[in-house]
Amino acid sequence: MKAKKIRFLSVIMIIFMIGVLSGCSKATDGTATKGNDSTSTNGTTDAPVKVAFIAQNMATEAMAFAAKEFEKYGADYGFEVIILDAKGDAQINVQAVDNAVAQGVKAIFVTPNDINAIIPSLQSAKEAGVIVGMFSSDLPEGNHDARDFFVGVNDNQAGEAAAQAFINHFPDGANIVEIGGQAGHDAQNKRHDGFNNKLEGTNIKVIDYKATQQWATDQAMAIAEDMITKYGSEIDGIFCHWDNGGTGVIQALKAAKMDNVYLVAVDGCRAGFEQVKSGEQSVTIMQNFSNMTKKSLELAKDKLDGKEVESVNFIPLDIVDLDNIDTFTAPEW
Amino acid sequence: MTSKYEFKKIFESIFKEYLILGAIAVLVLVTSVVQPAFLSVGNLSNVIRQFGPLIMVALGMTFVIIGGFIDLSVAGIISLVAVVTVHFIDIAGQGPALLIGLGIGLACGILNSALLLTSGALTQAEALFITYGMSLVYGALALIISGGSTKHIFWSENNTNLFEIIGSGSVGFFSTSFLIFLICLMVLYLLQNYTYAGRVMRLTGGNKTAAELCGININRSIIFIYAISGLMSAIGSIVLISRVTTASPVIGTGYETNAILAVVVGGTTLSGGKGSVMRTVLGTMLVILLSNCMNLLGVSVYLQYVLKGAILVIAIWMDNRKQS
Repeated sequence: MKAKKIRFLSVIMIIFMIGVLSGCSKATDGTATKGNDSTSTNGTTDAPVKVAFIAQNMATEAMAFAAKEFEKYGADYGFEVIILDAKGDAQINVQAVDNAVAQGVKAIFVTPNDINAIIPSLQSAKEAGVIVGMFSSDLPEGNHDARDFFVGVNDNQAGEAAAQAFINHFPDGANIVEIGGQAGHDAQNKRHDGFNNKLEGTNIKVIDYKATQQWATDQAMAIAEDMITKYGSEIDGIFCHWDNGGTGVIQALKAAKMDNVYLVAVDGCRAGFEQVKSGEQSVTIMQNFSNMTKKSLELAKDKLDGKEVESVNFIPLDIVDLDNIDTFTAPEW
Repeated sequence: MTSKYEFKKIFESIFKEYLILGAIAVLVLVTSVVQPAFLSVGNLSNVIRQFGPLIMVALGMTFVIIGGFIDLSVAGIISLVAVVTVHFIDIAGQGPALLIGLGIGLACGILNSALLLTSGALTQAEALFITYGMSLVYGALALIISGGSTKHIFWSENNTNLFEIIGSGSVGFFSTSFLIFLICLMVLYLLQNYTYAGRVMRLTGGNKTAAELCGININRSIIFIYAISGLMSAIGSIVLISRVTTASPVIGTGYETNAILAVVVGGTTLSGGKGSVMRTVLGTMLVILLSNCMNLLGVSVYLQYVLKGAILVIAIWMDNRKQS
C-alpha cells in the first residue's frame, strides 16, 4: 500500500514537472542539429562530410553558442557536424577525440580542457588522417604539429585591449580593480597577463586582483562588494574578465551608489551589449564566435581540398563602446 | 582527581560545542584590526546580502543531514528553478513565475525522495549517488530550457519589481533577503523542535531500524526532509537570481558543497540524528565571513580553497571524535 502511494506520488511529481517544463519548450526551438542538409554552397548534392565539434563544456554558454554556430554553418561548407561534450573534464575530452575518430569523421574542431593532456589523442587522430583544428584555445608552443590549425581569439590581446581602454579613458592615471574569471583557467591566465603586461610602465595602477572559483556572476558580485568595502571611492575602474560577471559588478556598484566607475569586460555577449547600451558598462571586448566558427569550417574544407592553410588564425577582437555599438550586430548569446 | 577530570571534560565539551563561535570571533578580530573597513555598515550589509542564497540551501540541507541522508541535487535544482522562473516571467507574470519556481523545487525534492524509497536506497552513500544523478538531470533540463545561455531578469517584458525587492530591497537596516531568511529560520526551527515531523526526522536519522520498530513511518519522514530541501533550494535560487539579476543554467554549481560545508562546520552530525538549523546559521556565517575576510585581507583564491577544505576536514574529524 505504502509502495503504491509512493509510486503514485512520483507519477504526480513527474507529471507536474513535465507540465511546467513543457511550457518552456519554446526555448528549445531551433537547437536541433542542422548541418545535415546535403546541399553545399556550391549547389552540389554530395553526401555531407562528417565532422565533429568537441566542446570543452556545453554547460558554458560560450560553448553552447559555438556548438549552435557549427550546426548552423556546417551545411554551408558541405559538412554534417556532430557535437561532443567533454563536460569540463580533460579525460572525457580525450575520449571524445577517440570517439569522433572511431565514428569516421574527416575533421575535428577541439576546445581542450587541458591543452597538454589532449596532445597524444590529437596526434593519434592526425595519424588516422583526421584534420585537427583547435578552436578557441591552442596547444602549447612546441606541440603545434599535433594539430593542423588553430582558430580563436588571443586572450592576451583581450587583456591588452581592456588595458588600452583604461589607458585611453584615464590619461592622468587611475586605480583599477581586476576581477578574474575561473582561477587557473587558460583564458583567465592570459587575460590577466595581457592586461597587466600592457599596463606596465603606465600611470594606471591595479590596486587589487581577485579571481573567482568559477565563471559565476554571484562570485564576481561578492568580490566587487568586498573590493568596494576595501577601497571605496579610490576605485576609478574595474576590469572584469567576462560580461556576465560584469552584471554582478554592476549590481554591487549600484548598491554602493557608485555610478562613475569605468567598467570594462570581455566577451561581447548579449549581456555585455545591453549593459554598454544602458551605460552601466563602459566597454565590452567582443570575441566573435560566428566568425571563429566560419573560419574553422573554411580551413577544414580547404585542408580537405588539399590546400595549405595558415597554422594560427586569430579572429580580431572588437572593442565595443557606446560610440560604436550600433555598428555591430547584437549577439544571440 | 575526579574534579580535575570533570573540569577537563567540561572544558572539552565547551571547546567542541563553541569552537565555531571562537573561529568566527578570531576571524572578525583579525580582519577588523588589519582592515578596519570590515566593521563598516556597508560591509556588514554586504555580508548579510551574501548570506542570502547559501543559508536557504544550507537550512534545507540541515534537515536532510539530520535525517541521515545527503542531497547533492540542490545544485541542479537551483539551476533549474532559476531558468524556469525567469522563463515564466514573460509567460505568466512575476508572481506566478515565482510560485512555479517554488513548485518546481518542491516537486524535485519529492521526486528525489520517491526515487530513494522506490529503489530502497536508505543509506547516505546510496542517497549521495541518486541525488548526484538527479542533479545532472535537473542541470541538463536547465541547459535544454535555456539553450545554454544566461537570461537576465531585466530582459523580461513584464514587470520584475518583485525580484528587485527581493534582491536589493531593504526594510530599515535589513535586506529583504535577510527577512526572508529570518522567516524561513523561524519556521524550520519550529518544525524541527516543536512538531512530530521534526522528532521523527531526528529518530530516522539516529537509527532507521529502531524508528521503524517503534512504528514510525520513516517513508513519510524521508519525503518530508527532501521536500523541505527542494523547497529551500528553490527559495535560495530565487534569492540568488534576484540578487545577481541573471539566471544561468549553471548558476547552482558549487552550492551543494558549500551547503554541506556550512551544515557540517556548524556542528550537525554527518551521520544523522543530531543537529540544528541554528548551528547551520553559524556554519554559513563562517563560510561567508571566510570569503569576505580573505578578500579583504588580500588572500588568493587558491589559498581560500585550501582553507575551506581544511575547515571541512577539521569539522568532520572533530565530529567523528565527538561520536567516538
